[in-house]
Amino acid sequence: MNASFLLFTLLNTGFILLVSPLFMSLIKKVKASTQGRKGPNLLQSYFDLRKLMKKEVIYSPNSSGIMRITPYLNLAVLILASLFVPIVFIPEAPAGIGNIIVFLYLLAIERFFTALCGLDAGSTFGGMGSSRLMSLSAVIEPTMVIAFAALAYVLKTVNFHEMFAITAGSTIPKSPTLTLISISLFIIIIVETGRIPVDNPATHLELTMINEAMILEQSGKNLALIELAHAVKQTILMAVLINILAPWGLATKVTFAGLAVSCLYFLVKASLLAGVIGLFESSIAKMRLFRLPSFYMMAFFFSALTILMEVFA
Amino acid sequence: MNLLEAFIYSAIIALIAGTVLPLLYHSKNSRKASFVLSFLSSILLLIFAGIILYTGKEPSFPAFRFLPGLDFTLATDRLSAGFILLIAAVTLGVSIYSVEYVEHAKSEARKDIQAALTNLFILSMLMVVLAGNMVGFLVFWEIMSLSSLMLVLHDYTSEENKKAGLFYFIMTSLSTAFLFMGFMSLFSLTGSAEFGQLDYPTSSLTLPFLCLFTGFGIKAGLVPFHKWLPYAHPAAPSSISALMSGVMLKVAIYGFLRFLLSVATPELWWGTLILIAGTLSAILGVIYAIKESDIKRLLAYSSIENIGIIFTGIGLYLIFKLEGVESLALLSLVGACFHAFNHALFKSLLFLGAGSVVHATGTRNIEAFGGLIKRMPYTATLFLIGSVSIAGLPPTSGFVSELMIFQVYFNSSAIPDPLLKVLLIITLSVFALTSALAAALFVKLFGITFLALPRTKYAHEATEVPKPMLLGETIPAAFCILSGLFSSRILALLGFDLGIPDMLLLGLILAAACGLVWLAVRNSGPAKARMSKETWGCGILAQHPTMEYTSAGFSEPLVVIFKKIYRTEISSTRIYSDTRESIFKNGTARIHLIKFFEERLYLPVASAVSLVSSQVSKMQNGKLDTYVLYVFIAVLTLMTFTRYFA
Repeated sequence: MNASFLLFTLLNTGFILLVSPLFMSLIKKVKASTQGRKGPNLLQSYFDLRKLMKKEVIYSPNSSGIMRITPYLNLAVLILASLFVPIVFIPEAPAGIGNIIVFLYLLAIERFFTALCGLDAGSTFGGMGSSRLMSLSAVIEPTMVIAFAALAYVLKTVNFHEMFAITAGSTIPKSPTLTLISISLFIIIIVETGRIPVDNPATHLELTMINEAMILEQSGKNLALIELAHAVKQTILMAVLINILAPWGLATKVTFAGLAVSCLYFLVKASLLAGVIGLFESSIAKMRLFRLPSFYMMAFFFSALTILMEVFA
Repeated sequence: MNLLEAFIYSAIIALIAGTVLPLLYHSKNSRKASFVLSFLSSILLLIFAGIILYTGKEPSFPAFRFLPGLDFTLATDRLSAGFILLIAAVTLGVSIYSVEYVEHAKSEARKDIQAALTNLFILSMLMVVLAGNMVGFLVFWEIMSLSSLMLVLHDYTSEENKKAGLFYFIMTSLSTAFLFMGFMSLFSLTGSAEFGQLDYPTSSLTLPFLCLFTGFGIKAGLVPFHKWLPYAHPAAPSSISALMSGVMLKVAIYGFLRFLLSVATPELWWGTLILIAGTLSAILGVIYAIKESDIKRLLAYSSIENIGIIFTGIGLYLIFKLEGVESLALLSLVGACFHAFNHALFKSLLFLGAGSVVHATGTRNIEAFGGLIKRMPYTATLFLIGSVSIAGLPPTSGFVSELMIFQVYFNSSAIPDPLLKVLLIITLSVFALTSALAAALFVKLFGITFLALPRTKYAHEATEVPKPMLLGETIPAAFCILSGLFSSRILALLGFDLGIPDMLLLGLILAAACGLVWLAVRNSGPAKARMSKETWGCGILAQHPTMEYTSAGFSEPLVVIFKKIYRTEISSTRIYSDTRESIFKNGTARIHLIKFFEERLYLPVASAVSLVSSQVSKMQNGKLDTYVLYVFIAVLTLMTFTRYFA
């Protein structure tokens, strides 16, 4: 633990927690405008969170401790994961922070406990959501691992911090293979954040429900924590893509101006990406559950292709 | 006699005493004393193994003489010390658990026998690992197989268990036969029964390698030799399943490693074969497990998966060693051994937990469970620790070993051969699928067993198990967490600097983050949570357990996605009452789950064997003069043979 890392912990995590809800509303706004609606206020997600914080928590008598600890655990796991993805500057982190395998498994913790939470109250919806989430996440896992392995192949390191230091050093993406990986990473964002065509975050209809089904029993501040954790996950995954594809402006040294520029650049780039996600969601229909594995195969193909290109180059 | 000898001999004597005691004095106290003895011996063994692992001493103790020229020696080095540590760590928990568990057997005689055989089983596994030469290894290997067979046949009156016992007996004999062949061919090559450096041309080692790979593969439960596991585990008492799955499979891994590490120049195809077999076992094990709803059979399939992961690590070790990337070779070998250790602990924890659940409810079918977290909160917590660890979630120990293997894969750009790289990419993606499916599997197992409403009256009436059983589960659970958190420190202490992330740091940050989140929202909103009347269900009047997701329902999406692998045959015949086949009259439909390995591999072999033996048995008519004739023909043949060919 050094001063640089402590500063990074405060700034990076604070910044991510602060801006995450913004992108949630932004995507809703983009989707609304493509549908010809006005859409919510850009700060709506913050208002929602504040409102939920004030409401009382209601538990089903059938639920157990799992329901009670999961909201806290999920947000804590994502706070830890946020240390792995530098947005404001790249610190001198202790060994192991930034390891992409640990990062993947931190996301797995969140998934594991959310799925248990879905089963906890004994509602049919929750069970359905858990079953679908675990099945689909199992099928997407090879894609995620191969995409991250492709990153490791191209950039010759398994640490995000080192990867971003390499990409941030250059003004354009280092190799065309990174662009290919970006396609897979984009699909991974869509899948992991439960967006169309995988899941529909806007409905509570059992045909489409995955994520929404599992948190149906959550209420009050617990729901707020889960929503925030979800937003943080989206921001972190977006940051991974941004730092690979368009790493301009990421500070490698700590200066006040550098930090400000990093934050500003990130806001602009992430807003653009959120816009793209919104447009993507609007332009495609929800897929049938059992059609999804072939959608995942596409992402798998791009990342496997990247590695093959590197292998035979 | 030095300190180390004192430790090992007193541990062995304690186990022998533990075996004999319940057979001599038939009382509850003698059974208790027998498990106390195995507990004490495992503490001694832990210290012994710790000393050897730390100092790197390689003591060997001459013990006794089978035949002139065939001394039985006890020899240890760091490899066997690692596996002794594993045996001792599992025994620690199992012996405490058994004190109470064994009392639930059906009759007094069975209780005594179970206590005695448990000790004998532990002793024989220990002696296999300690054996300094092949003869000792095989003798104790056979004792290990037979004592576990008797324990599998513990409840011998049930038809199902008889079949399981027979299946296990055939498979384990087959394993011994292959080992015998492998060791014989090594003996004829080296002229010595000692385990030593095998510095011979690889062509002469091909036969021993294939024999030993098959022999140890059968015992370890590698696909396609895995079928005995899902039969034997449900039949055996849970504490024995914990020992069999946790330790006995690892003893096979030990034997295989002992051979492999002594070969000076292995070949690349060995590594490729081991890697592919390991990857296949891992993925098929977990896919079969997903569909299972018998709690112990599910855990047995999951053991096949984990054995697959261990073999994957061993295969990677060989490949990277031969490609000259020493650092990654070491990482994969340590990863494989560490996973063996971790699997021993979390799987014994899960089997003990399953034993508690079965004890409390009286059934193994997870569809009958539900809501047990309210009725058995301690068992549930411990089972959750095991599930989290086996699902490979940080910062538990199960994650660390999977991390090592992932790290090897991710760094595999270091090897030059492009075709090998393609193989590694394919196995990596299958490995990733395996680990994600394992997470799904344990969400299902824990969720359906412990959460929601009880589905049957057995689950409804379940109560928490006695304290010794809980204590027995606590020990492996503590190991799962501690050996995860301190993994990099322990490995550094043993001299392995592998550059893996520090789980203690991650664990501390995670705990701190949990605390901070709790502090931050502590004062917002109404202080007290409200209890609703029941789970919301779209306005239904009362929630009923039949509305919950079942085990089969939970795994249905995966069953649909992987339906090619399950090979479900759906056939139907229809009879129509008119000639144009439009008015349906009658018909049958059938869904048949093909047991692929059993129907396509085991049965053909078995029927071929029984065909040959039925021919041979015709020669046996029980008359003395016929046998004299056979002897005469045999002697004549031999004489001709030696005259013309020798």
